[in-house]
Amino acid sequence: MDMFTIILVFLLKAYTSEGQLVQPSDTLSLPKSTLKAPLETALSLVVSQNMILVNDKPVILMDKVVKQTDFLIAPLQSELQRHANEAKRMEAQFEMPFTGKVVIQGDREIQYKDLVKVMATCGMSDYPNMRLVVYQKGE
Amino acid sequence: MAYKPSRRRSPKVNEAMEPNMTPIMNLMVVLIPLLLSSAQLIKLSVIELNLPPAADMQTEGKKLEQKETKLDLSITITNKGFYISSSSAIVRNMKGAPSIPLKDGVFDYAALAEKLYQIKGKASGRFEDTNSITIQAEPTIDYQTLVSTMDAARAIKVEEREIPLFPKASVSAMIL
Repeated sequence: MDMFTIILVFLLKAYTSEGQLVQPSDTLSLPKSTLKAPLETALSLVVSQNMILVNDKPVILMDKVVKQTDFLIAPLQSELQRHANEAKRMEAQFEMPFTGKVVIQGDREIQYKDLVKVMATCGMSDYPNMRLVVYQKGE
Repeated sequence: MAYKPSRRRSPKVNEAMEPNMTPIMNLMVVLIPLLLSSAQLIKLSVIELNLPPAADMQTEGKKLEQKETKLDLSITITNKGFYISSSSAIVRNMKGAPSIPLKDGVFDYAALAEKLYQIKGKASGRFEDTNSITIQAEPTIDYQTLVSTMDAARAIKVEEREIPLFPKASVSAMIL
């Protein structure tokens, strides 16, 4: 009985109503940061070591992104644009404001030149408000 | 005629009764798996990122006009270390050795934060944009280094107090 009470109190403390936004996987290990800011829910963009996913749907393989010299990732842009158009239609019909927020979960190993490509594509596809998801360090 | 039930046969129990725990245990058994499934064991947070200046075309014209009062501080991450540069004369060390070289083969974030703290001290009050900083990097720098650099630029701990440095980080689209 005592043990159960302790477990219950601990779990209540760790309880979050938002649920788990990010499922950790082998191909995605987020960078660590000292920042403590709450997560937001928005369009999720996963940049793993293998591929880029928008809302858990694979868009392009990372190999192609690494090889290209151009800033714009065309398949990613069309996918983002599709989401943006949908969100704007929702805004017009149901008055859900379109904020242009995108939550980027990037692998800590990806290189700056590829990251910049992803960011530039987001910026050009009506998603200028980027949020980078990181693990909280310490505590 | 019925008699009153005998008092002697069913004596009042005076000693403390053991409470019935079964309903509470049942509740626990349900609650614990429920909470376990929704518990967040890994804490996540988000970094707000501003648009790279290159994609920010509309404010470009304004920027040119206000050039004098802008600090335009930027950090460049290279394989040799950090270069800190600014359009004004406060820091000018772009050529030659890095402002903060690698220390034992790893990036020296503590020294970077310390240096930025000095710059912040010199610059505050004289410039408008003493909160923002641009970060750019060599192509092969990885994401973790970028995030750690942002951490170093965001705040510094001096005597157990967090002092904000340049929390508005933006990532430059320019590749060296």
